[in-house]
Amino acid sequence: MPETPDVDVIVVGAGPAGACASIELARAGLQVVLLERGPFPGSKNMYGGVVYPRILDELIPNWWDEAPVQRWVTRRSTMVLTPTQALTVDFRSTAWGAPPYNGATAYRPDFDHWLASHAEAAGAQVLCSTTVVGLLRDANGRVVGVRTDRPDGDLRARLVIACDGVNSFVAKEAGLHPPVDAANYTLGVKETLALPKEVIDERFGVRGREGVDIEILGGTGGVNGGGFVYTNLDTIAIGAVLKLPKLAAQKRRPEEIIAGLKAHPAIAPLVEGAELKEYSAHVIPEAGLAMMPKLTGDGLLVAGDAAAMCLAAGIWLEGVNFAMASGMYAGRAAIDAIRAGDVSTAGLAGYERRLSETFVLRDHRKLKRAPHLVLSDRVQHVYPELITSVAERMFRVDNPEPKPGLRRIVTSERKRLGIRRRDLARDGLDGFRSFG
Amino acid sequence: MSATAPIAVCLKWTPARLDGGPLGPDAADDRFAGISPADRAALELALRLADRLGTTVTAITAGPAGAERALRDALAAGAERAVRLDMATDADSRDVAFELAQSLADAAIVLCGDYSLDRGSGSVPAFVAHHRRIAQALGLVDIDVDTATAATVHATRRLDGGRRELLAIPLPCVLSVEGSLATLRRAPLPRALASRSAHIDVVATPPAHHHGAPAIVTAYRPRARVMPAPAGEVVLDRLRRLTDAGTAPSRGETVVLEPPAAAARIVDALREWGYLP
Ligand SMILES: Cc1cc2nc3c(=O)[nH]c(=O)nc-3n(C[C@H](O)[C@H](O)[C@H](O)COP(=O)(O)OP(=O)(O)OC[C@H]3O[C@@H](n4cnc5c(N)ncnc54)[C@H](O)[C@@H]3O)c2cc1C
Repeated sequence: MPETPDVDVIVVGAGPAGACASIELARAGLQVVLLERGPFPGSKNMYGGVVYPRILDELIPNWWDEAPVQRWVTRRSTMVLTPTQALTVDFRSTAWGAPPYNGATAYRPDFDHWLASHAEAAGAQVLCSTTVVGLLRDANGRVVGVRTDRPDGDLRARLVIACDGVNSFVAKEAGLHPPVDAANYTLGVKETLALPKEVIDERFGVRGREGVDIEILGGTGGVNGGGFVYTNLDTIAIGAVLKLPKLAAQKRRPEEIIAGLKAHPAIAPLVEGAELKEYSAHVIPEAGLAMMPKLTGDGLLVAGDAAAMCLAAGIWLEGVNFAMASGMYAGRAAIDAIRAGDVSTAGLAGYERRLSETFVLRDHRKLKRAPHLVLSDRVQHVYPELITSVAERMFRVDNPEPKPGLRRIVTSERKRLGIRRRDLARDGLDGFRSFG
Repeated sequence: MSATAPIAVCLKWTPARLDGGPLGPDAADDRFAGISPADRAALELALRLADRLGTTVTAITAGPAGAERALRDALAAGAERAVRLDMATDADSRDVAFELAQSLADAAIVLCGDYSLDRGSGSVPAFVAHHRRIAQALGLVDIDVDTATAATVHATRRLDGGRRELLAIPLPCVLSVEGSLATLRRAPLPRALASRSAHIDVVATPPAHHHGAPAIVTAYRPRARVMPAPAGEVVLDRLRRLTDAGTAPSRGETVVLEPPAAAARIVDALREWGYLP
C-alpha cells in the first residue's frame, strides 16, 4: 500500500526558479512546500547583478512597481580589452528607464526574497533553514518525496521540482545528469565596491535610477572567460567568469584576476577609491545545451541552473530570467500532470514542450555554439588584440602616410598576429550562426 | 503553583545592527533580525524542564509582527503556545517586563536569556520577577529541577575567580541563563511546517508608561578612552606601550568600603579610566 503524499508538490530551492514554480502551483490551488536551505530566500545566492524580468509580466503584472530594484539598465556596453587598450560599443536608451523597462540591477537577497514572498502570498509554504539531503522513491524507482536534514524529516509529495541550483544534488541523485565535466563550468567571482551614488552617477554618466551593464571580453589575465561591471545605487559590482580547467591549469587565484581587471586603464577610473564590501564566488553552468540533463523523471522535474538553463553566451549572461521562466513552465506542466493524474515522465512531457516553444530552449538551441566559441582560445587571446589594433590603426593619424583602408588594416593585423584566414572565416561563420 | 503550570520562555526579537550602509542590513529589515544565543538556550532549557515536569512551554515575545518568526521557530522546536505582546522593539525594559509579568501570571518558571543582542542589560528578567513578586536568579550556567516535588530549582551561577555559586530557588521564579548552557534542538519537519500557519496570541499593549521607576537615560557603551600618543623610538616599543604587552599586569584593587563610599570610589575609577566624562 503506497503511502499517501503529505502535499501535492515539493519545490527544492527558493531561488528564482523555485519561487516562480511555487507561485504557479500555489495559484492553481495546489498544496506546495518550497524548501530552502538558507535562513531566508536569496540569503545564500549571488550573481553578477543584472536581471531581465520581462517574463515576470506573465506572473506579476507591473512587477516594476514593487520589485526591489537598484537601478534600471539604460546603458549597455561591450568592452574588448587588451592590457593597454580598450574598444567599447556603448548603447543607451532612455526608453529602458521607464515602464515596462528592460533590465535592472538588483541584489539577490532582495530579489529572491521578494519573489518568494509572492509564492507565500499565493499560499505556498516556504520553509527555510531546511536542506534536502535525498530523494524518496517507491518500489518502481519513482520519486515520491524528499528527505531533509531535520528530525522526522521525510516529506512525501505527488511531484518534486528540483530548483536547487547549479550543483543540483537532487537531479544528480535522480540520475538525470550526465557525469560532471569541469570543462562545462565556469567560476564566477565578484567584488561589490561601495562608492557614493553621486560618484557612480558621474563616472558612469547616469542620473537618478539609471544604471549601466558592461560586459567585457579580455582583461581576465590570460584565463579564458569574461568580465563584467554593473552599477547598483551606491555600489559597483565587478567580476569575472573564468573557465575552470584554465584557471586550475594556470594556478591563478580568482581574486588576482579581479585585481588585474580593476587595475586596467579603462576600468581603474571607474572604481578608484571604492571600498570593498563583499567578495563572493559561485559556479556557473556555462555549456548550455551541451550539458543539459534529462529534464524530467517519474515524479520529478528539473528547472533553472539545476537543469543548466543559464545562458552564458558572450554579451549575454542571463540565468535569472531563464530560471524564472523554466520554473514557471515546470509549475504549469506540474499542474496539468497532477490534474490528469499522471506524473510519470510521459505525463510531464508538457514541460519540455513549453520550454521548446519559448525562448528558454529556442535561445539555447540558437546559441548552442556560442559558449564554446566565446571561451575558445582564439576569441579569448587573439581576437581582442586584432579588434583593438584594427581600431587603433583606424583612429591613428599617420601623416604623411595616407589613411589605409579597413580591408588592408585587417589583413595586415591578421597576418601580424598569425591568424589563419581559414580560422577567422570559420569562427566568423560560427559567430554569425549563433548571433546572426 | 502546581507542577503542571506552564513554563514560559521570553524571547527578545532584536533588529539587525544599525550600521546600515551599502549592503549593511537596515534596522527595519526582519530578514536580519533574530534572537540571541542566550534566548535560544533558554528555550531549549524550557523544553527540557517542561518534559521532565510533564508540563508545556509558552513562548512569548514583546515586539512587532516580524517578531512572530521567533515564536514560530519556538513552536516548531516544541513550544505549545505562542504569545506576542504588540510593542516596538525598542520599548522600555520596564514596560516590557510589566507586560510580560501580566501575561505570564500563571507560569511556574519564567526563563530568559541573560541579555539580548542589542542594548541588552539583562534587566527585563529582574523587572519581571519584581512585578510578579517572585524569586529570581540571573546569569545561570546550570539548572536542575527537583522533579519529585517540583518546588525548587537548583542552579549554578558564575562568580569571579572561577568560583561557582549554588542556588536553591523556590518556584515560581524567574531565571536567566547564559547562551553557552544549551544548544537549541533542531525542529522536526512536521512541526516546522505546522508552525508556519500556527495560531499566535497577539496582545495589544497600552502606550509606554515606564512602570516602577523614573526614566533613566543610559549611555549605550562606555566612551572610547582618549590616549596620548605612546612614546618610543621604534614601532614595536610604541605598540608595547599602547597594549601594555610585556609589562607586569596591573593588579585589580580590592577596597572595603561602606556602600555610598564604594559607589563614589567606582565612579571615580570610571572617570579616571576615561569611561565617564
Ligand atoms: C558570478 C555570476 C554572475 C552571474 N550574473 C548573472 C547576471 O548578471 N544575470 C543573470 O540573469 N544571471 C546571472 N548569473 C546566473 C544566475 O545567478 C543563475 O542562473 C540563477 O541564479 C539560477 O537560478 P536558480 O533558481 O536556478 O538557482 P539558484 O539561484 O542557485 O537558487 C538555488 C536555490 O536552491 C537552494 N538550495 C540548493 N540546494 C538545496 C538543498 N539541497 N535543499 C534546499 N535548498 C537548496 C539554494 O540555497 C538557492 O536558494 C550569474 C551567476 C554567477 C555565478
